[in-house]
Amino acid sequence: MRLGFRPTSFSLKYRDQRSSIGMCLTETLDEMVSTGTLSPELAYQVLVQFDKSMTEALETQVKSKVSVKGHLHTYRFCDNVWTFILQDAVFKSEDRLEQVKRVKIVACDSKLLTQ
Amino acid sequence: MANNVSAVYIHVLDDVISKVRDEFINYGVGEGVLNELQALWEVKMRQCGAISGNIERSALPKNAAPITPVHDLNVPYEGPAEEYETPTAEMLFPPTPLQTPIQTPLPGTNDPSMYNIPTGPSDYAPSPISDIRNSIDLKAGRPGSYMQPPSPWMSQRPLGVDVNVAYDEGREEPDRGSSHQHATQDFFMNSSGKRKRDDYASHINSGGYIPQQDGSGDVTIELSLTQDVVSQVKTSSIVQDQGTADSKFLSKKAEPALMLPQHDGIHDEYDDLFHLQGVANEDYNTPGDHVELRAATPSVGTPKPSKNDAGEDDEPPLNEDDDDELDDLDQEEEETNTQHLVLALFDKVSRTKSRWKCTLKDGIMHLNNRDILFNKATGEFEF
Repeated sequence: MRLGFRPTSFSLKYRDQRSSIGMCLTETLDEMVSTGTLSPELAYQVLVQFDKSMTEALETQVKSKVSVKGHLHTYRFCDNVWTFILQDAVFKSEDRLEQVKRVKIVACDSKLLTQ
Repeated sequence: MANNVSAVYIHVLDDVISKVRDEFINYGVGEGVLNELQALWEVKMRQCGAISGNIERSALPKNAAPITPVHDLNVPYEGPAEEYETPTAEMLFPPTPLQTPIQTPLPGTNDPSMYNIPTGPSDYAPSPISDIRNSIDLKAGRPGSYMQPPSPWMSQRPLGVDVNVAYDEGREEPDRGSSHQHATQDFFMNSSGKRKRDDYASHINSGGYIPQQDGSGDVTIELSLTQDVVSQVKTSSIVQDQGTADSKFLSKKAEPALMLPQHDGIHDEYDDLFHLQGVANEDYNTPGDHVELRAATPSVGTPKPSKNDAGEDDEPPLNEDDDDELDDLDQEEEETNTQHLVLALFDKVSRTKSRWKCTLKDGIMHLNNRDILFNKATGEFEF
């Protein structure tokens, strides 16, 4: 159900476990809820706020530019979300080069983000 | 720079905490809980290396709360994440009112107005969690059960791979033949349980012939099925001039049995093909014998014209299995390495022939166990 939850698909990305910061927060919240320290409702509010803060931080605080090159193994566009799977990809940023054998890129439509 | 990432994360953390402070107060939860949250979160981030320790910020006791040991984060996420998945969902959807925290996990009713955790993948179609987990775990497995059923099932000519689709089609085409009535009835039986295929398939054999609806004709043949088809067709089809009724049916049915036994009309080109191969010369006294004779051809594998026909008239192979190795490879890799992931927004994605270009914005990259943030990214991929 996506009623009024437009940012949700986007925000879920940052909460995704493989983003360290999101994962740490989710784990922390899970623990606190399971011990009864925190109510689920409140935990949810924290996550919502986290999404907003994360988005804002990325927009304002980060200024780096990255270039990606690689072999496209899979592409998918569904529900306005692009998913690419690259093989032998190279990520170049100002000061660093990263090479990975396989990487998944998940990208939501920037125009759909509600403020 | 790693420091920059740490700084951003710390900033986010502080920002979140300060903004939820009011919420906490509104809920009547003390600041102690908030502090505990902040401390726990920060500790976890330090432990997983998302934050380096040299950031100046408002002082907070680092080890204020008792901390459960974090599981080894160098181990791929698949296992631990899944351990969290189900218990989290159960714990967070307690059947009792929200204010009462429940210690024991109960299979609570799923209240959508509550905590819509990432564990509810069906709610968010583009959810990357469901995308990742499903694509890894479920989708890899499910298409297997849909599109590549085990061979004994295939050879028994099932209804169609997708039960949902077949269910509707079965309703719409009740007139295709007497044999189809079996199909319709069985549809109703089977639509609820996909695992009943085997029982259903055996029912087909005895009942009659069901046309395949899911793709190209299959080569595997059941001898007994052919016999049934022959006898059925004999009773319902039209006799032609060019041969005895028996020979016509037998020769015809055995051949397309390799492809698709027809029951919607006998007059097609297959007739002519068979004549060219001199099939009519054979003496068919007993339908049974000659069906076996014919049907034996594919099983023996003798290169006869029938074989060629099957190859030429058959639709090109689906190549269903081509990506299996690749998929498996991908899965293996994920288990051994950390999954490299980029989460971002896209501005533009375009393609020229096999060259893809995209511009991304505001993303987090998790590569080689490191988090990198970017404001803009350009991608060039070769498909």
